Amino acid sequence: KRPEVSGVMAKADIKPKSTHDAKKWSADIENLYRFQQAGYRDEVEYKQVKQVDTVERWPETGFVKKLQRRDNTFNYFDKQRECKDKEVHKVKVYVY
Amino acid sequence: GFCFFFFLKVRGPPLAGAFKERPTKPTAFRKFYERGDFPIALEHDTKGNKINWKVEIEKLDYHYYLPLFFDGLCEMTFPCEFFARQGIHDMLEHGGNKILPVIPELIIPIKNALSLRNRQVICITLKVLQHLVVSADMVGEALVPYYRQILPVLNIFKNMNVNSGDGIDYSQQKRENIGDLIQETLEIFERYGGETACINIKYMIPTYESC
Repeated sequence: KRPEVSGVMAKADIKPKSTHDAKKWSADIENLYRFQQAGYRDEVEYKQVKQVDTVERWPETGFVKKLQRRDNTFNYFDKQRECKDKEVHKVKVYVY
Repeated sequence: GFCFFFFLKVRGPPLAGAFKERPTKPTAFRKFYERGDFPIALEHDTKGNKINWKVEIEKLDYHYYLPLFFDGLCEMTFPCEFFARQGIHDMLEHGGNKILPVIPELIIPIKNALSLRNRQVICITLKVLQHLVVSADMVGEALVPYYRQILPVLNIFKNMNVNSGDGIDYSQQKRENIGDLIQETLEIFERYGGETACINIKYMIPTYESC
């Protein structure tokens, strides 16, 4: 099983080596779905682009709560799961 | 005997029009939307169904914006309908304690939306009401005094369930069956409305059966 990266402090030149489609929903996939809805590959790219250390999350579920898009508008996400089963395969998982 | 047979055509009383849709009036939401006064990016270029907020929701004046978005519940066409519905969703999901003080100002827009007697609008408004009740503490109880304003139309549509025999009613799966949605909404009202909720619901909707 390939390792997946999450919550890593971004360096300026980190780029993924490969990508594959998600197969099954999980909390990590849910968060990836949210980053991709907001126009980013994943948390690594978000922190690189926005130059932030942390991402706002729901304390109860740990899911991403709020993201700022590249045009500086904001996307907000629900406390509970948003990524339906039929959308899981559209989520891309990046491997570093 | 000499009988005259008068073949009288006996008609029933004229329709009162309880189910008839009312025409929509231009909403304040549409006026503001067309003026570009909303803190939302109007280009709908996201892949999903998200609104791009130009201003952080946490900084919004809920007394000003939440009733305006609720006013948009009367809208039936894209994109107004989408922005109103999704805007309400985001504001309720992230509003916290800013929601409760605004409840009195939401009643008239809710009543207006339900009064249109439009199936699509009623379904959306019911789902919004369900979200509203659970969005913050005490909201369910705060709604009880307003049942007399928002429940009467639901009384008319409550028994509107299709008799499809042993066929499949797909609207149930999609949560668009009005009769079921009304029952679901009333149950949530009762669950979150405190001790007096049930009796107040039954006063307005006598056929309601407690959960």
